[in-house]
Amino acid sequence: MISSSSRVFLFGYGNHGKPIGKGLSEDGFYIVIVESDEKNRQQAVEDGFEDTYLVDVTNDEHLMKLDIKPEDQLVCVMDDEHLNVFLTLSLRSLFESCTILSISDSIHTTQKLKMAGADKVIDLYEVSANRIHSILKRPVTTKLLEGFVGDQHEISFREIMIPEGSFLRGVMSDEYNFEQHGVLLVGMIDQELGNSFVFATTGINHKLDSGDTIVCIGREEELNAFENLIIQTEEGGDRS
Amino acid sequence: MKRLILKIALALSRSESYKTAKSFVRNILNNPLNPYKKYVDLSIIFFIITSVFILVYEVKHPVPEWIEYYDIYVVSAIFLIEYLLRVWVHADISPMVAEEYRQSEFLGREFRIKKVLKKGLRQKVDYMLTPSAIIDLLAIFPAYRPLRILRIFVLFRVFKLLRYAKSINQFTHVLSSKRFELLTLLFLLVFVVMTAGIALYVIEEQVNPYIESPFDAIYWALVTISTVGYGDIFPVTDVGRTISMVIIISGIAMISFATSVIVSAFSEKLVELKEVRIIEKINKNKEFLIICGYGQMTKMFFAQNEGQIQNYVILENNPLKVHQAQKDGFDVIQEDASRYETLSKFNAIHAKITLLCLTRNDVENIYITLNAKSVSSKIDVIARASSREMVKKFERAGADHILLPSEVADTMIRTAISHPTMYKAVHAILAGKGIARIDEIHVLEHDMICKKRVDQIDFKAFKLLFIGIYRGKGYPFMFIPSAYEIFQDGDVLLVMGQEMSIDYFKDIYQGSSR
Repeated sequence: MISSSSRVFLFGYGNHGKPIGKGLSEDGFYIVIVESDEKNRQQAVEDGFEDTYLVDVTNDEHLMKLDIKPEDQLVCVMDDEHLNVFLTLSLRSLFESCTILSISDSIHTTQKLKMAGADKVIDLYEVSANRIHSILKRPVTTKLLEGFVGDQHEISFREIMIPEGSFLRGVMSDEYNFEQHGVLLVGMIDQELGNSFVFATTGINHKLDSGDTIVCIGREEELNAFENLIIQTEEGGDRS
Repeated sequence: MKRLILKIALALSRSESYKTAKSFVRNILNNPLNPYKKYVDLSIIFFIITSVFILVYEVKHPVPEWIEYYDIYVVSAIFLIEYLLRVWVHADISPMVAEEYRQSEFLGREFRIKKVLKKGLRQKVDYMLTPSAIIDLLAIFPAYRPLRILRIFVLFRVFKLLRYAKSINQFTHVLSSKRFELLTLLFLLVFVVMTAGIALYVIEEQVNPYIESPFDAIYWALVTISTVGYGDIFPVTDVGRTISMVIIISGIAMISFATSVIVSAFSEKLVELKEVRIIEKINKNKEFLIICGYGQMTKMFFAQNEGQIQNYVILENNPLKVHQAQKDGFDVIQEDASRYETLSKFNAIHAKITLLCLTRNDVENIYITLNAKSVSSKIDVIARASSREMVKKFERAGADHILLPSEVADTMIRTAISHPTMYKAVHAILAGKGIARIDEIHVLEHDMICKKRVDQIDFKAFKLLFIGIYRGKGYPFMFIPSAYEIFQDGDVLLVMGQEMSIDYFKDIYQGSSR
């Protein structure tokens, strides 16, 4: 799922860059930090990032030198809004096929970032306002799943890929009792259907195959145990 | 005698049922936040209108006897009862007597009942002398038929309506703020009218056939100065005409002065009046939102669910932002949400209030949170915090939900990169926008699902994924509860599935409650 060749270029190591960088490196990504401020770069080095560059992001030549490959993902989270928009625009024109993610600190910037060519814009206010709506509508759910990949909450979602020879191979998704492992099957990502997400509750009984990715919900420990179980039983296969 | 009064007073001040009855009546008559007051008001308004209609109709047409009986016995009796109840709840005499008795026992001095009774009765009499109480009393009288002149009291039944017309109350309130100007004006008017009237009387009494007494002359002066000019009395001499020219001009000046005073009083109070209306309107709802701060977050909040958020009020301190909010068409009040008085205006007892603290400032948000919790712990607070370090403080302040905008966004970016497909799916589940969603099912006492065992409900048949039970604060969330767990009143069940499955499930198991 995570290809080793794909790197994440993090432009900006300030308010947002720091937590995002930390989270992504925990997820096993190779992070390259690009900063225009020496102090922030220093901070990144202190936090243990090896690949850091001090670059004038308004200068195209400097950006060209960064050795960005088409499959790399670019994340623009500079503290300065204007610089962020400018950077997105420059990156888009320099690297056609890269995925660019940007963060927006205001309603007006979101529109500009989209025009500048960002593939995905996360609007700080939009996501927060969304969150408020869901708190109002479904307080318990929201509290429970707040930051569903975050580590400070007990219940979270997890993607698990079924490897070749796993005991889950050939199992019907509707019939297998996931609860015995203390987890629930939410859905799966089916390769045959072009990486689309299939919910477990659509009523379609799906035959699990190696290469499929299942998404489960559960407590951290149980998820870990379940994941190990799936990966471990590569030879066996008759446990259930 | 003294003994008897004391005995009654002590009994009354000890009796719980007497106290609850009294406070119930007091609430229903005087407390605008009481949900039942509305019905009492409406029925009294109904009685007033019917009785006034009957009395007016009666002037020219004969009416059936039962209608007359209705007017005499039903309406008047109800007004009498209302009046007596209002007097009754106005002050408490019995605890005063009891207190006095206790004091005298304690100090060993003579028990002086007269003084206490006097004080208590004094309060009642004070109430009876207020304009609204006098109107109530006089409104009882028109029932007495033999004396026709008493019918004029039907006017007081109309006046009784004033109690329910809030705009009239506000009108008098606004005018009373300009008491000084209006009194000066009135004094000036009386002076001019008297002077002109006397002058005309002295000059024209002999020559003008219409002026027979000083009253005629003063009446003429008032009709002239007000620019009404009936023309039934008019000056005939040159001197008289000169006087009328002078008072006509001064009359125009005075009228414009009075108009400007009243207009300025209203424009000064207009904002306040509007705010009072907004608060009154919102307090009638069973459930509403108070949003503190009109910044980007609030704008976005409204933009996302356009027109769907109905019961809300925005509190904003900055006049510029208030203006902006008004321009955008929102109900906004320029108030400081961190003041106790501001939040205590809201009906926290009867309504379920959710307060959103969305200002940029953590200090302010924490202060507002504390303030809301001190007004009523029943108010749900959703607060915005700038960083994780602040969360502990907000939790201590009592916030029910803490929102970390930057963390939410950072997590989003992180997930979008590391789990792109799941990100979309999970996001859709949480936002309730996709085909599947997580929903909460609230179990109530009379629901079919209540008191049933987990394994008795086949969630799979409904194509639902049963995630767990939340039993309220203080209980851990039960993720995949055991098959023997029993659903209880107040439980919240978390299920995932398509909207129609969830609705169908609710239909079947909640049956009558929805």
